[in-house]
Formats: sequence, C-alpha cells, structure tokens
Amino acid sequence: MKEFCASEIVPKTEKLEDTRKMPKDIIKALANFELLGMVIDPEYGGLGTDVVTAGIAVEELARADPSCSIPVLFLVGTSWGHVLNKYGTEEAKKEILPKAIKGEQIIGIATTESDIGSDLGSMKTKISKKGDKYVVNGEKMYISGVAEAVEYGGGHVTLAKMTPEKGTRGMNLFYLPLKDTPGITPTYVEDIGREAISCGGFDIKNVEIPKHYLIGEENKGFYIVHEGYELARGLISLVCAGAAAKALENGIAYIKERKAFGRPIGKYEGIQFKLAEHHVRIQALRDLGYKALWTFDQELQGKASRFDVSMAIAMAKSVAPFWAVEAIDDVMQWQGAFGYTKECQDQKAWRAVRSFTLAEGSSEIMKLIIARELLGKDFLAYR
Amino acid sequence: MKLVACVKQVPDTTEVKVDPKTHTLVRDGVPSILNPYDHYAVEECVRIKEKIGDGSVIVITMGPPQARSALMKCLALGADEAVLISDKAFAGSDTFATAYTLAQAIRKLGSIDMVFCGQQAIDGDTAQVGPEIAQQLGMPQVTYVEKIEIDDKHKLTIHKQTEDGYHILEAKAPLLLALLPPTSFQPGNPPMSRILKAKKKPFNIWDAEKLGGDKSKFGLDGSFTQVIKTYTPPSRGECEIIEKEGKEAAKKLGEILLKHEALIKR
Amino acid sequence: MGIEIILDKCTGCGLCVKACPFAAINIKDKKAEIEANCTLCGSCVEICKFDAILLERPKPSDKDLSEYKDVWIFVELREKDIKKVSFELATKAREIADTLGERVGAVILGGKVKHLCDDIAAYGVDVIYTAENENLIQYNTSNYAGILTGLILKYKPNIVLFPATHLGRDLAPRVAAALEVGLTADCTGLSIKDGLLLQTRPAFGGNIMADIISPSARPQMATIRPNVMKVQSPDSSRKAEIISIPVDIDPKAMRIIIKEIIKTTESGTKSLDEADIVISGGRGMDSAENFKILEDLAETINGVVGASRAAVDAGWRPRSDQVGQSGKTVSPKLYIACGISGKIQHQVGMKSSDTIIAINTDPEAPIFDIADCGIVGDLFEVVPILNDELKKNLSKD
Repeated sequence: MKEFCASEIVPKTEKLEDTRKMPKDIIKALANFELLGMVIDPEYGGLGTDVVTAGIAVEELARADPSCSIPVLFLVGTSWGHVLNKYGTEEAKKEILPKAIKGEQIIGIATTESDIGSDLGSMKTKISKKGDKYVVNGEKMYISGVAEAVEYGGGHVTLAKMTPEKGTRGMNLFYLPLKDTPGITPTYVEDIGREAISCGGFDIKNVEIPKHYLIGEENKGFYIVHEGYELARGLISLVCAGAAAKALENGIAYIKERKAFGRPIGKYEGIQFKLAEHHVRIQALRDLGYKALWTFDQELQGKASRFDVSMAIAMAKSVAPFWAVEAIDDVMQWQGAFGYTKECQDQKAWRAVRSFTLAEGSSEIMKLIIARELLGKDFLAYR
Repeated sequence: MKLVACVKQVPDTTEVKVDPKTHTLVRDGVPSILNPYDHYAVEECVRIKEKIGDGSVIVITMGPPQARSALMKCLALGADEAVLISDKAFAGSDTFATAYTLAQAIRKLGSIDMVFCGQQAIDGDTAQVGPEIAQQLGMPQVTYVEKIEIDDKHKLTIHKQTEDGYHILEAKAPLLLALLPPTSFQPGNPPMSRILKAKKKPFNIWDAEKLGGDKSKFGLDGSFTQVIKTYTPPSRGECEIIEKEGKEAAKKLGEILLKHEALIKR
Repeated sequence: MGIEIILDKCTGCGLCVKACPFAAINIKDKKAEIEANCTLCGSCVEICKFDAILLERPKPSDKDLSEYKDVWIFVELREKDIKKVSFELATKAREIADTLGERVGAVILGGKVKHLCDDIAAYGVDVIYTAENENLIQYNTSNYAGILTGLILKYKPNIVLFPATHLGRDLAPRVAAALEVGLTADCTGLSIKDGLLLQTRPAFGGNIMADIISPSARPQMATIRPNVMKVQSPDSSRKAEIISIPVDIDPKAMRIIIKEIIKTTESGTKSLDEADIVISGGRGMDSAENFKILEDLAETINGVVGASRAAVDAGWRPRSDQVGQSGKTVSPKLYIACGISGKIQHQVGMKSSDTIIAINTDPEAPIFDIADCGIVGDLFEVVPILNDELKKNLSKD
C-alpha cells in the first residue's frame, strides 16, 4: 500500500491543485490497484475484504494526499458501495458495482440539504411511487463527487421522504444516477479544502428512477443510511490519523533542522511537549479508529451489536478531526511564517481535516451518540 | 518446472543521506525495500511460469526476520512459496558465504530447473552472489539478462546486455539468470487482490539447523573478505555556477573547457 | 581431496570429456577416467548429469599461504584488441607487485592472442599465460572460468585482478566460488597494507567507501572499476615470458549458445566506458532528434554521447548508452550532463568523473550538488553556442 501510494499517488498529487474534480487517471490508478470496492463481494468484482483492511488503505491514502481528496473519494465509494452491496437489489448490484469497481463510475452519498445536516428527519426531498417507478423531487446540497458523477458517470445513494408523517421512519434510500438524468440540475460550491474533489448539490425535479434502485425496504432508509455513515465515520477517523501522522513527520524533520537562537527548535521543551502529546493522540486515534472498524466487522459477523458499533465509531470520530487539526496546526506553527503559505503542504491537510468535524455527522452528534449509549434513551437531548 | 528466485531486502539507497557533520550514513527512517533488480527477476520468473503453464516459483532470501516483508511482496508479485533463511549464524556473510547459504537452500528444495536473481543489489552493487550460486550448484549462468522468451519445448531465447549492444543466446534449463531491468515489459506493483492472497501462501522460515550443510561456511566464519573500515568519500568541492545569461554563460564555459586537460591533450 | 569418478553412477556418456578444457578425461571401458593433467577446474562436475564426479578441492586456507606468489591480471579483449582497462590493471598490478617484490602475471584467452603479448608486456607484465582456441574467441562463462580456475590452482598467484566490466563481473565470481576464496567487487582503490591487498570500494550507491581485506584465503581476488586506475606510459622494450596452455574445447558441450550479436553502438566509435569525454543527455533533451546537438559537440571535442535512464526509457537512445546504476559506470576526465536532474541512480554511474559540468534549467537539480561547474539555463541555447565557441578555438591550433 505504501509503495502503491509512493509510486502512483504521491507523484500525481502534485498536480492536484484546485482541480475541483478528481482527475480520471487517479480514479483509474485506484481501480487498477483494486482499491475501489475492496469490501464488495467478489461476484461483483470486489475483493470481499473486511473493513479494517479498507481502513489501512485509507490511512495510507491520507498520508499520500495532503488534500485528502483521494481518501474522501475512496471512503465515500467504500461506505456506500458497502450499503449497495448489502442492501441493494441483485439487478442494481450487477448494474452498478462492477463499473464502480473498475473506476468507470463513482458512487456518492446525498442526504444533506441546504437547511438540514445531521437532522435528517427535517429533510424536504420526497419520493413517491408511480406505477413500477419512483418519482423524486427536492434538492440536495453539500454533496461530494457531484461533478465526477455528472461527467464520468455514476450516482449517489440518496435519502428522501416516502411517508413524511412518519418522520425518520418514513424514508427511502435509493440510488440516483446523475449523468444524463432528465430533471437533475447540478450546482457547485467551493469548499476551503479537499479541492481535488467536487462539492456541490443538485436540484431534483420529477426524476423517475426504476424500482430496482431502491436500497432496502421502503420506509427503512433512515436505518440503513446509518450503517453507511458509521463505516464512513470510522474511515474518516483513520484519514485524520494518517493526515496528522504525515504532518507530524514533516514537523519532526523540520524542527530538527530549523534553528532559533542558535539551536534547532526541536531542542526546546515547548516544542517537545507538544510533539509528544500529538504523537500519543495520533496513536490513540489509530487505536480508536481500528477498534471502531473492527467492531463494525464484528457486527457484520454477528459478534457485536449495533450499539457497540455506534459507540466505538462515535468515540473515534468525535475526537479524530479535532486532534488531527490541532496536531497539524502546531506543525504549521513550528514552521513559522512558511507554515501559513500555500507552499506549505501541511496547510492543505489542515484545511481538509477541518472539514471532518462536520462531514458525515458533526462532532456534536458524535458526542450525543456517546452520551445516549451511556445514559440511555430517556436522556436523549433531542426528544 | 520448478523455479527459484533469490532476493534481498535492501535499504532504499536513494533515500540514504550522509550526515553533513559526522560524515556517517543516516539510515534512520530509510525504508527497507525489495531490491529493484530482484523485483524484475521475480516478475520475469512468474511470467515464465505462466508461459509454461505449470510449475511453481519459490522465492528465497537470507536476512533478518524483517526481510519477511520483501518476501511478502514477492508472493504478491505471483511467487507461490517463500523461504526466509534467518539465523544469527548467517550474520556477517560476504558474497561467498551468502551464495553458499542460498545454494544450500536451493539444493534442499530439490531438483530446480531455473534460478533467477537480480543482476545486483542496490546496496552492495557487487553482482557476485548470482554467479557464485551458479558455480556452487554447477549450473551454467547468464548475467546481464534483459529479456527472456521460452518456447513450447522449453528452449530459452535470452537477450544478454553487452557493452555495445546485446547478444541473443539460446539455452536450456537448468541454468541461473541474473536480470537487469526488463526491456520487454514494464514492472509494476501487484494489485490489492494479489497482496491479500500473498498472506495465504506457504511461508517457511529456516534456521541454520534446519538448513543443514557445512556450518563452517556460514556467516562470518565462511566469509573470506573482511570489511576493516568504512568512511564517506571525500566530497567534491562546491559547484561553481556561471551566473550569466545563456549566451555569455556558454562562452564562459567554453573558456573554462578550453583549459581542461581533456581538451588540451588532443 | 582430489577428483574421483563414482563408477556406479558413471554411464560413460562422454559429456565430461567434451566439457574438459584441458583434455584431461578419457573414456576407458565405458567409464570416465581422469588423467594426471587435471587441474580440478570443475567443468566436468558441472556438466555431468549423473552426479558421477566427486570433486574436493584442497581448501586454500588449510595450506601454507606463502606458497602463493605473483600478482595476476585477467586481460580483457575487445574484438581483437586489448581493452584499455587491461592496461589500467597491468599498471596497478605492477605497482603492487613491486611493493611485494613479486612478478606480474597476465592471462589472455582468445582465438589468436600471441601477437598481443608484447602490447601488455609493455605495461609491466612479467609472465603471460595464454590459451588459444577458436571457441574462446567469444566469451563463454564455463570455458573461461574452467581454464582460469585450473591455471590459478596450478600456478598459485597471490592476487588476481579482473576488470569490473560485464565480462569480468560474470567471470570473477564464478572463479572465486570454484576456488572458495574471497572476491571484492568494483574496487576503486588498491594498495598493500601489512602484506595484504587492501581493496577500496564504494557501497550504498556511492554514499560510503569500504576498505576490505581477504586475509584467510589465496589468491586475493578483486574486480576493478574501469577508468579509475591510471595507465602508465608503455615501455615497448619490455618483454614477458609466455606460457601457452594447451586447451581442447568441444563446442558441443557448450550449454549456452550465442545465436546473434547485436550492436547498438556504431563500430569504430569509442565506447562510452573508455571515453575521456562523455556528454550525456537526459529528460531535458525532449526528443531523440535533439541529441544531434550533443553529437555535434561530441564531434568537436572528441567525446562520446551517453544518456540518462529517463532518455533511454523514452526510447531516445539505445540502452547501451545508459549511464547510471542500471547502465554503465563511466569515469571520464570530463563529463557534461545536459538536461539531467542527476538522481542518485545516475550519480552512481558518473560520480567518479574527474570534472563534471552540468547544464540544467532547474537550479535545485541534484546534479549541481556533484558538479564542479554548472550553468542554470536552457541547454538548447547553451550547447550550440558552446559548440561554436569550442570549434572556433580548437581549429585555431
């Protein structure tokens, strides 16, 4: 994995400046190395590995690509590929998964809207039945990989309300192809990091999708979507660990060389204490992240409960972006004024990792989940 | 056909730096890699096996327990079985003792048709172990191999690099081949599925006891050469950069070169 | 100790008779028999399909090391001439032999080689061992190694030096393993210390140097990198004693056959590794056609054009032009690197050049770390002007 990143990814990240779209050759390189669809069943062309193995892959990718654009593409594809693989119809799986694994199409996730994020129960997008098809109306916003899906092909695993009066218990999860789909109008936003993967949204106007694109049962979408999010959150924890570990390595090299007042700044205790703290945190983060993914694997094999998974994942994700941002922040600080320039690679990681306090479930939500598991449902803050 | 590839784990010499103060080698943090020439050898070996359609590729190395990762890579590249020869008794081996140890391992594997080696290792650059193994096994050898083809009757056509081109040779097993970067294919990294499969392939670890052979020929005792001192080469002086525009710089360089002994001598 | 035919296993097939370069095996009563002129070179053991020949060589370390005298060189030929590296070896061997108070021996193998003896003798060689056979015209590992092993066992030299060329690096380890002695590769320095040969060689891609001795076995053997040792001026009045070794080679016993010899460098041109001036082009050359400007410059200053791996991989130059770790090692008096960034792999192949000139647009290129003089600029502008400038001045005198 390290060698793959060194030979195939690192040389390509140099030109990943602000492309706002993942270059096709990178998707192809990931596909050739068989990273796309690691967790998908071999009958659809995947490797059928556990998710811990995917964690190892994403941690390395994060070390290789400071903008974390490639890890995001990977973790989204892996998480929602897993959901499709587990809950999708046979017909949809045969149609979608092999192409995604070969890098010909991408798989994304679309739940958030302009006004709602983690509070999925308040979403406005609706899906209804029309003969043997479904019709979708609404809009999705702050979605990764829109430009890629619109141009290269692929689609997003999308959540919409089927039975609005039932709230979260009335939602459908389905696959929504974006390329050449009548009624889909993409829009784009420029986020401050991860600038090599697109971010945007799309308006959905009377879009018809075939029945077999439904993922899982009707009205059960809310529960299924959580499984994907949990996997994504676990992988994000390791993206944070990888990005921070790489930054810390850069920092170590720098503080050995850079001199202030006649000696390397690495000789100052003020720097050493921080270095030690960040190292411990990053190692703890790796432990938390891999434990979370391991628990996820255990649950898939029936050896752990959903609650075990929720707890382990939320623990990792609640601290991962903060610890990583703080570590990278200090590495930038050590580098003095250079740390605040665009030439400094670590600022890319800083901007990217900052997004993960929000993406795939905010840190606040993670803490609510932990508290819920500790206090019980009677203490739910939102009820 | 039973094929063997001999490999070595080496520090990535492109990453090795010299401490400007102490003039010693900085090996901290230098990654260990499969010697690139051995990578070519293993890939070619696997290609030959696949061409023939049957047979197996056994990859062997002598080294510390960490050399396991180099062998894992070979398994991912398509080798079928790995043997790690690891024991303190082998420490300090020079090329002769290394070749003796590897040859002993190859004998232990039974009747072998072909042995593949990298032309040289990037840390030592000696290029000696291959021919020394061949001699000990009594096999003919071809070194500086750029390309190998094998036909249905297992006749080999080999391109051997020479100083002014190459020779096209014809040979039959058994023999030992030492490989340069291949001209007929682009070596690459194995995909994830092969890496995952590698973990399930047979992996043997042999110590001196298990290997057998003449123990006096192992390690330091079996080595005839002794390194008595290492040091960094005297560094070249600073580079004098001609700080002039293109044309003027070229003229200045012309003046410097005209005073150079290589041009005066003519 | 010695050689023995295991009669139970011997089928009398005669393969060993063909393989023996010294005609020391005969078939009698359908069994092989070893004659007294056997040198224990081992060629027959290698060829025998039935493991019927048992060879146990006396371990050199068991014996009195002082029996071993003289400094030998292996003389490498290029077509019908002696390669320059052989003169370098002869010069160095002379120096070492004088320190030890021993003679210099030279081994020349080939088709007809007698006429070359005076040439090499002029560089200080005292005794020349020759073996002539039409099957020795082209180098063949088994035959060459067999003959050399036999000669060394018989004449017991103290030191044997080989060139670290394609041929030498193929042959020397084979001989060393047969004799069970040490061998130091690619030496860039040789001297005598406390009566032992002190061999200096680079390691770790040229990042460190190591001093090596081989105290316990004889001969002490090393391969010597070409273009490193100085050549003394020849003394044509010097004559050497010539010892011809009768050899008998059956081409049918050769298991590796040369079908075709392909040359990618024009004949008559100086070879890259023997040139005094090398002008190399890298990725910055952009195309095969652009190498013309380097060739023009090479013609003006009598140099040879080389290439970096990047240029060879791009198909702009043949592989035989490649300088660097996976190509050739050169150490000319003057090395001009044009559009070559100079990664460590390239440096290994040219670092020992006397003077290194670099022309590159990138001031950060590592080539400038090892260059003596450099221009940060466009080679397409610099090289033609440089060529004109040199042409003008060189044609004047």
